Amino acid sequence: MTDSFDPPYPNYDILRKWDSPSYNQITRDVLTERLTAVPQRQFLDEQEWRLLQAICDQLVPQPERTDPVPITPFIDAALTENRTNGTRFAGIPAMREAWRKGLAAIRAEAMAQHDTDFVSLDAHRQEALLHRINDGDAEPAHWDGMPAQRFFRSVLLKEVLAIYYAHPAAQSEIGFGGPAAPRGYVRMGADRMDPWEAPADRRNR
Amino acid sequence: MCLLTDSAMKNAPDCRRFTCAPSSIGSPAPSDRGTETGLTTGRVLGALGLAAAGFLVLRAAERNRLQPQKQADRSRRADAAIQMGRASSLLAGSVFADSAMEHLRGGYHRRAMYVAPAMAGATLAASTSSRARLSRRNADLRDGIYLAGIATGLTGLGFHLWNISKRPGGATRMNNFFYAAPIGAPGALVASGLYGLAAGRLVRAPQMTSRQEGRLVGSMTALNILATSAEAGLLHFRSAFQNPVMFLPVIAPPAAAVALAAAVARPGRQMIKIARAACGTTVATGLAGAAFHVWGVHRMHGGWHNWRQNLLAGPPIAAPPSFAGLGLAGLGALDLLEMEAQP
Amino acid sequence: MPLVEHLSPRAIAGRAPDVFRHGGWVPMREYGDDEEVDFTIVGTGAGGGTLAAKLAEAGFSVVALDAGPFWRPLEDFASDERHQDKLYWLDERISEGNDPIELGGNNSGRSVGGSTVHYQMVALRFRPEWFRSRTTLGYGHDWPVDWRRMWECYAEVEDALKISGPLTYPWGPKRGRYPYREHELNASAEVLARGCEELGVDWSACPTATVSARRGLSPHCVYRGFCKIGCATNAKQSTLNTFIPRALAAGAEIRDLSMVTRVETGADGRATGVVYQRDGQVRRQRARHVVVAGYSIETPRLLLNSASPKHPDGLANSSGLVGRALMVHTNHAVWGRFQEEIRWYKGPPSLAVCEHWNYADDEKDFFGGYAYMSQGPLPTDFAKTLAESEGIFGTELRRRMADYNHMAGLKIVGETMPQERNRVELADETDRYGVPLARVTYSMCENDRQLADHSLEFMRNALSAAGGQELFQSGGTAHLMGGCRMGFSREDSVVDGDGRSWDVGNLWICDGSLFPTGGGVNPSMTIMALAVHIADRIKTLAGQDAL
Repeated sequence: MTDSFDPPYPNYDILRKWDSPSYNQITRDVLTERLTAVPQRQFLDEQEWRLLQAICDQLVPQPERTDPVPITPFIDAALTENRTNGTRFAGIPAMREAWRKGLAAIRAEAMAQHDTDFVSLDAHRQEALLHRINDGDAEPAHWDGMPAQRFFRSVLLKEVLAIYYAHPAAQSEIGFGGPAAPRGYVRMGADRMDPWEAPADRRNR
Repeated sequence: MCLLTDSAMKNAPDCRRFTCAPSSIGSPAPSDRGTETGLTTGRVLGALGLAAAGFLVLRAAERNRLQPQKQADRSRRADAAIQMGRASSLLAGSVFADSAMEHLRGGYHRRAMYVAPAMAGATLAASTSSRARLSRRNADLRDGIYLAGIATGLTGLGFHLWNISKRPGGATRMNNFFYAAPIGAPGALVASGLYGLAAGRLVRAPQMTSRQEGRLVGSMTALNILATSAEAGLLHFRSAFQNPVMFLPVIAPPAAAVALAAAVARPGRQMIKIARAACGTTVATGLAGAAFHVWGVHRMHGGWHNWRQNLLAGPPIAAPPSFAGLGLAGLGALDLLEMEAQP
Repeated sequence: MPLVEHLSPRAIAGRAPDVFRHGGWVPMREYGDDEEVDFTIVGTGAGGGTLAAKLAEAGFSVVALDAGPFWRPLEDFASDERHQDKLYWLDERISEGNDPIELGGNNSGRSVGGSTVHYQMVALRFRPEWFRSRTTLGYGHDWPVDWRRMWECYAEVEDALKISGPLTYPWGPKRGRYPYREHELNASAEVLARGCEELGVDWSACPTATVSARRGLSPHCVYRGFCKIGCATNAKQSTLNTFIPRALAAGAEIRDLSMVTRVETGADGRATGVVYQRDGQVRRQRARHVVVAGYSIETPRLLLNSASPKHPDGLANSSGLVGRALMVHTNHAVWGRFQEEIRWYKGPPSLAVCEHWNYADDEKDFFGGYAYMSQGPLPTDFAKTLAESEGIFGTELRRRMADYNHMAGLKIVGETMPQERNRVELADETDRYGVPLARVTYSMCENDRQLADHSLEFMRNALSAAGGQELFQSGGTAHLMGGCRMGFSREDSVVDGDGRSWDVGNLWICDGSLFPTGGGVNPSMTIMALAVHIADRIKTLAGQDAL
């Protein structure tokens, strides 16, 4: 956490292509909703919501952004709609229950280790705690039979990343081409790019 | 040579060409060759070239005013020169636009890639220059430009071969012939330069007989047509001949090349007539090809709305006019051969 | 992204969506539920969709039902990974075993057109020996279909999809020229090619089911690279825009958003039709023949859920093999950073392939084979791979993701052994249709691991020979095969070589669950080829009055 993120394509923004043939109508509709209609809290309670936000801040820290990519609201929305992803690994309950259980377990881990709520921990301790779960060193007693590492990687982290990297800001920061229909690409070779792509990686210039 | 030409003069009903020639200087004259109807658009495209060549003809005519028995001969050579000039212009124009686009696709990642459109542009300017003078100095300058264009084309050929060879699999992979730098394309610049040189030669003092000139240009043109057709065939094969009209450039121009070669071998009136029709068809093929390619771009996903992608990824609009240029060169060669044609 | 339960059927009132036009429709013949049609087909993917077209064209009356929606790619497919989750089978399935597999977006489609709507279009044929792998190679099971017959069917499918492939294919027996030419290699494919050139093994432009030139209403591929989440240009040749329009034109009815919950059988044990739910209503479609084409999870699940007094262990299950010997492909990969910008988001993700290890028998000490292809994962897909395989998150993950444009990767489609312990069963819990959830058990065997390890070592060498640095590897699986294998007798298989149940004479299976072995290539072409084969056999049998 000490070192911050150094963007390789600092002035690139895929949203600038909004009115170009790179965007078709449905893509504009989908992104308009994502950018303007950030869901309100419905499923999680206030405590769970704050905890999840703190976790998301560790999983994808965005200290440089004045307007960070919202993640928690979209997780809450998916849970409100009771969305599933097609796989329920053994030991992991149905989505709504899994998230509630997982959040409770992380809170319990924090209480057990630091005698305080996860949200109140400093960033280093929060990160270290999540690393322990990620590395398979969680305390099973807090997890009520749910495999902690599996929940962390296959449910929690995957969902957070799926939301973050679906956001135009995140796609711009990695120099992804972004929406591309009807217009795709012409120049396919290494170090070749179309004018509507990100300019060359500044580290290579 | 004079003897031959004179006797051909007497037999040929082509004296009208002499009277037609000056009228073609300012504006396109109505053609008296039915097979050349497709030239109308070609004339528009080659208008500048026509004007330039016309000037040369006028100067030539003025200069030789004292030798009226040779005037007809000279003007018929000039007629052929006009065709060569137009051929050179059309080819240069095609290479100019096509290489500018294709090298844009390549991102001009090497500075050398600017040379192709630049030299094609210079060749185009030389072959269409309205300030053309017959002064030795200007003629030499233009020849110099043509030679530089030829050298550029040959160098480009080398570059394109090298580009193919450095891709994975090199020359053993069809993918590289389909999608790496096209080997045939720079050849059009070479051809343009050669026709420019030929046009210049034709308006100066003859160094060989018209038959020799006609055969030389005719053979060269037949080969050029075959090479260009091979290139079109390769790229249309790459596109799986998805539209039957894509077979046109691999049928019509090669037929013209064969007819032209036959006329070169035996310049009889009938054969010349056939070859003239075939070359006219080649001109028409080239012009129609450009129109088909415009339509092809429209049929790409996103159509003209997505022009930044489709002008580059779609069929190249500037490429087919090469055929028109070669068809004109063929007609010019036939003009020369006809001067000696036997009834 | 719309939830599937909030969508309304489109293929109603005598018309079906025209996949090639915004808001367009094509006429569709409709059958009443009580009308006994010749064939009702459950599923419209690579197997069912292909079969529907072939049977309708042969003059049979056909109703094909699909649990998924009927999309119009031009207006329905966004350039957005999260939104396009709507293409997948996201209903929960329970995944167990030593190596539980990821389902959902990984291998299960839910659309008219099935998984072909989101497949990566890698259009490879099985190696001929694989159809007799027990006899010639010493593992798995032989197929009850001759490879030369399959070769004919492949050719028909490749022409139907106008596969863009190389003029000559380096491996296996000579095959006819692909209908369309190979695509230009993108930088990612060039990495694979260079690696192969360095290591001295062959490589090829990958035969791909997206057109390299216009084809009817399908435009030339625009290389937008979102192939895996649905092609918004119709350049991709999926069942949705090839066989489905053919089926409709030939008089088949396609019923979208129709979830079949049960195959009904009569007192004589023969199938009489299917029970399905559409638009909140429970309905029945009567049919002389029922074809189940729901792929390796849903086909066994439906058969097991269709148990009756005559078929107490589930339909067509006298062998006890329904749901057994489920296979996946191992999907191990090696990734590396390149100095230059690869920008692998451009073009179809797998434009180059190396099938060397599917054919080089003498050089390997494990059964089965693998092909590997160049890769082009979209951002969230790659972020998940990175997090999962490297165990990272936070700023480190963001920093690694910043190299997205510099990455290239090689990933295998690795054959796994058919093991009867890997299976699909019914769980106690039921879904919103009242059907028990599928419980999927999967464990790798030692041979599977050896193959994966071999591939990782080879691909590491290949990737670093091509200039890749900071290599890392990932695991995972792709595709589903088996679960209702075809075979030679009622003891060793669920269906015969025509896809016909040994137990129920008018019940057929036509999808990837038929595979006795998995092969080391993507299964879609083989599923379609089997559908062509089964359709031809049905025509022949009908001609002999042997249906």
